[in-house]
Amino acid sequence: MTNRDIEISISKKDDVSIINIKGDVTAIAGEAIEEAYQKVSADGANKILLYFDKDDYINSGGIAILIGVASEGMKNKQKIRITGLSSHFQKIFHMVGLTKYTEIFPSEESALKEF
Amino acid sequence: MTADKNIELHIPSVMGYEKIAMECAASMAKKMGFTEDRIEDLKTAVAEACLNAMEHGNKMDTSTKVGITLTVEESRLQVTVKDEGKGVGEIVSPSIESKIEGKDKTRGWGIYLIKSLMNEVKFEPSPEGGNVIKMIIYLEK
Repeated sequence: MTNRDIEISISKKDDVSIINIKGDVTAIAGEAIEEAYQKVSADGANKILLYFDKDDYINSGGIAILIGVASEGMKNKQKIRITGLSSHFQKIFHMVGLTKYTEIFPSEESALKEF
Repeated sequence: MTADKNIELHIPSVMGYEKIAMECAASMAKKMGFTEDRIEDLKTAVAEACLNAMEHGNKMDTSTKVGITLTVEESRLQVTVKDEGKGVGEIVSPSIESKIEGKDKTRGWGIYLIKSLMNEVKFEPSPEGGNVIKMIIYLEK
């Protein structure tokens, strides 16, 4: 048995690069998130939205990947926002302190507003 | 439901199998009347305990098992996760600031999440060898 595969896709709305994340956000699968982040960064993204699915499974390995992305985002002076998380994982992200570096929004619309 | 009912399962030290333990614990918690929020807390704690056992206790040796025991009492559920090896991973409190600044590796959140989400957590060696994490979640009325 493996973790459910992760599906990553990249889209763009105006000047915001959106990384859509669906599936298991774990240390191994999360490498795909890191790759997507590197790709949009190479394309010059300054505003990045991580768009999760409410049914995503996120474990501490995946959280480590996201902290890595937040850390690189800070160094690259990028603004990173998050949406789509279940209320449980919004709480988890607050608990680990990730929300000090990335803001969580209740919807894509609110996340894109005044980015 | 009568008190002191035990349910045991054993999963291989293969990432992904922690989901079985998660769903088993969630199913029991739902039966006991836990809220959805606390069931999600339990699932995350069980997942992290299993992953810790696989990685740090059993060193991802696929020939080893992680044992999970659910002990049902009237107003609480105890979940015990046991590995066959040594080591429980880091118990120090992680600092996101250190990790963001690159002073510390980004991993190391498992134990912190377990302790934050469960009402009681104990780490102890198993009499048969290996380590045991005991987690207790209270049923709030």
